[in-house]
Amino acid sequence: MNAIEVEGLTKRYGDFIAVNDLAFEVKEGEVFGFLGPNGAGKTTTIRMLTGLTAPTSGTARIMGNDIQSEPFLAKEAFGTVPEVSNVYDDLSAWNNLMFAGELYGMPRGKRAERAEALLERAGLAGFMNRKAKGFSKGMKRKLTIAMAMVNDPLVLFLDEPSSGLDVQSALELQKALREMNSAGTTIFLTTHNIEDANIMCDRVAILVGGRLAAVDSPERLKATIQGTQSVRVAFGGNGTDIEDALAKIPTVSRVTREGDKWRLYTDEPTVVLDGVFRYAQGNQLELLSVNTMGPSLEDIFLRLVGGKPR
Amino acid sequence: MSVKVSPRPIRELARAWAIAKKDLRIHYLRPGLIMFGILFPVFLFISFAVGRDVSPVVLVPGFVAMTLFFSASSTGAMSVPTERKTKTYDRLLTAPVSPVSILLGQTLAGFFFAVAISAIPLLIGVLWYGVGVASVAALVIGICLASFEFSAMGIMFAAMPTDNPGDVMMVLNFVRLPLLFVSGIFVPIEAMGSFGFAAALSPLTFPVDLLRYAFGGVGYYGVVWDVAGVLAFTVLFFALGVALHERNRKKA
Repeated sequence: MNAIEVEGLTKRYGDFIAVNDLAFEVKEGEVFGFLGPNGAGKTTTIRMLTGLTAPTSGTARIMGNDIQSEPFLAKEAFGTVPEVSNVYDDLSAWNNLMFAGELYGMPRGKRAERAEALLERAGLAGFMNRKAKGFSKGMKRKLTIAMAMVNDPLVLFLDEPSSGLDVQSALELQKALREMNSAGTTIFLTTHNIEDANIMCDRVAILVGGRLAAVDSPERLKATIQGTQSVRVAFGGNGTDIEDALAKIPTVSRVTREGDKWRLYTDEPTVVLDGVFRYAQGNQLELLSVNTMGPSLEDIFLRLVGGKPR
Repeated sequence: MSVKVSPRPIRELARAWAIAKKDLRIHYLRPGLIMFGILFPVFLFISFAVGRDVSPVVLVPGFVAMTLFFSASSTGAMSVPTERKTKTYDRLLTAPVSPVSILLGQTLAGFFFAVAISAIPLLIGVLWYGVGVASVAALVIGICLASFEFSAMGIMFAAMPTDNPGDVMMVLNFVRLPLLFVSGIFVPIEAMGSFGFAAALSPLTFPVDLLRYAFGGVGYYGVVWDVAGVLAFTVLFFALGVALHERNRKKA
């Protein structure tokens, strides 16, 4: 069974088409990333999927239930983490979680048990009786995420989940999401952080101008642009006209400098490796490191959205 | 082990109650609500009553109704846009709670707030003006029905697609203030002459008349028509409120 099924999903505001004829599905237990530049329609899509707005046309089903015609059943199955943390500032962390549980009809005992566990996991147990208005941005983010997990949802929607979190908290969130996913929760996330998507997602969709430009696993997407394979090399000394010399190696299409390293783009990395070794030997340069690299998800993203590669 | 699942209406009511409790915890006693819901009707009453030779049996019911009118209708008008601004309203919309239950919960919060606030004009009426109560049942029914009706009215106005409470309050006051003058508070309906028909179009008229009966034992329309009038406006406000909130959600 698919956790999320989207068919012909379209949202118009007058003449402007914010989201145009989207169709995709997310399998149960999958981590699905939604990438796109600002204004691509990511948030509008997540708002339609979670029932915050209605599509102009098309359908979205969550765990088999249409979000428009069977909203109660669809909403029972998911939790949401919006881009802006939406906790009640005038309620304590504990009461925020208890209220979130009440909205899902959880009995008091179960709510309390769950709230205790989530506050502990979020590192907020020591602040449970404090009103959220005194919380830092990161603490509010953690509380928002805990509130989305209160009903142990089958599907979790996250809009830019690591926004406002420090590095350690972001890593803790990744760990928590992996644990939830391992326990069977399907995760749908939008992010600007391509590395997050690369590390976490089983599949990603790239949205450009309200339309889906690609949907596949990060590695398959990378395989579609093998032309951006590269060899990254660092030398121990300074050769003369090194950039020109490296650019003359057969099959090298482009050379860029990355700090103390050089990156040589090619279709045939083995030919370039041979050329690099010859160049180092001929110029008596020590080779400090050599790496062959495939295209990154960022390369794919930039190619699809029409940006310039680094 | 079998899990007991409540029927859908019970679940919906429980969630509406959760929303009402939350609203009562965080929204009442906000400065805007105290200003528009309590101080405003009190000062309006004082400016009308002081120096005028009007019977307390006419004054006090109008004062109680006016306080209920301003306090109950201000709660939703303040809380809904505030929640839109903090994005907590989205939390309600993405939860498994029907639009009817969300608005019922918010209407209940305004209802309880106004019922509690009605103690202020009641105490002033009984202790300061020394008015008696002719029908306790009519008083209780009048206060409860009026609180719910006006709360539903505020929720209906809160359907305005804005996250600024001031925008809703401005429009609400534009409607509320003229209604004061055609509802039998300052000018009795029997003295309105050919404008008397306008009174029946005001949602404030029937609660004022019902409360006048509760205090003085005499009303213009009669208890049955008063109750029917309040119920009709309540259903209208609530149904229109649900429709407008839903329309705006779909368009958002």
